[in-house]
Amino acid sequence: MKNDTLDQIWKSQSVSSHLLEPKIIIRKAQNQRRQQWITIGILSLTVVILILYAIRNGSNNWNSFSQGLSLMILSLTFRLSLEYLTIYRKKSHLIYLDNRAFQKYLKKYYLRRRQINYFITPICYGVYIYGFMQLLPYFKNEFSKGFYTYILISGIVSLLAISLIIINTMLKERKFLQELNHEKN
Amino acid sequence: MNIEKDFTQIYYSHAAKVYRLCLGYASGDQELAREWQQEIFIKVWNHRSSFESKSSVGTWIYRIAVNTCLSDLRKAKKVHSLNENMLHTESSLEEVEMRESKIKKMYQCIDQLSAANKSIILLALEEIPQSTIASIQGLAPGALRTRLSRIRNSLLKCMTREK
Repeated sequence: MKNDTLDQIWKSQSVSSHLLEPKIIIRKAQNQRRQQWITIGILSLTVVILILYAIRNGSNNWNSFSQGLSLMILSLTFRLSLEYLTIYRKKSHLIYLDNRAFQKYLKKYYLRRRQINYFITPICYGVYIYGFMQLLPYFKNEFSKGFYTYILISGIVSLLAISLIIINTMLKERKFLQELNHEKN
Repeated sequence: MNIEKDFTQIYYSHAAKVYRLCLGYASGDQELAREWQQEIFIKVWNHRSSFESKSSVGTWIYRIAVNTCLSDLRKAKKVHSLNENMLHTESSLEEVEMRESKIKKMYQCIDQLSAANKSIILLALEEIPQSTIASIQGLAPGALRTRLSRIRNSLLKCMTREK
């Protein structure tokens, strides 16, 4: 088999039917940007509302319910912001680094992600659970027994599902880092 | 309006090559390759203002392409059969089957290469000039030439090897 044959085999693939119109790509890009701005807007608004709420109730009405709710929202907002920030930085490096430099950057990136996954995420997760537990006595007093049980079970199931997603992502990232470390440049 | 026109022109000149490059990275998984190809051009559109004319648009696009495919954590699904639309027609069923098996074998062989070697050979198969590939990969042109010849040889050896 000759070198030319490789090129011929490769070129025998026709791809035209798989390509979208450029207009659709532009529309998708614009929608994606819009959604990113909406997410940033929602996160910022949540933080602003929380700060206003804390200022308003901080001195007289602050109780374990307010504290629990604030801890839940803050830990979630902090972790999500960190996630978006790291992803944004990775994307911006992807645009201008050559492949060799990008591979080096990815190794550093996933080492940093490992620190986030092993330390910051469990802390945020723990704070979130602590906040949720502080709300439970209020729910128990305010709602019927059936609805309280529903909140309790659905809360536990959601937390378990989130932890499974986190563990799965951590394993995927660890495997990817191992593959990168085995790469020879 | 002009920006859209420029993008359309750039898209039609590079989209097919980028798609095939993604197919190589995705070991023939068309769905994943399609997603990557779209993602790459979405990035090209979104970051068009950050493009500096130090290199050609092509170099910039292929750099985004190889970096996008490399950094995605999603794994390609095993490809059992290729879509016949992917193969140029006007051939008999036998010829199509033979070509299909050769392409499948080629995906398997490319898949055994390291990520960097994979992108070098995929870019070379798309007839991207060696100086451009060197710039995309961050290698000296001389080093690239030697490496490309080694990759081609190992690919040829793999292609002629029985299963």
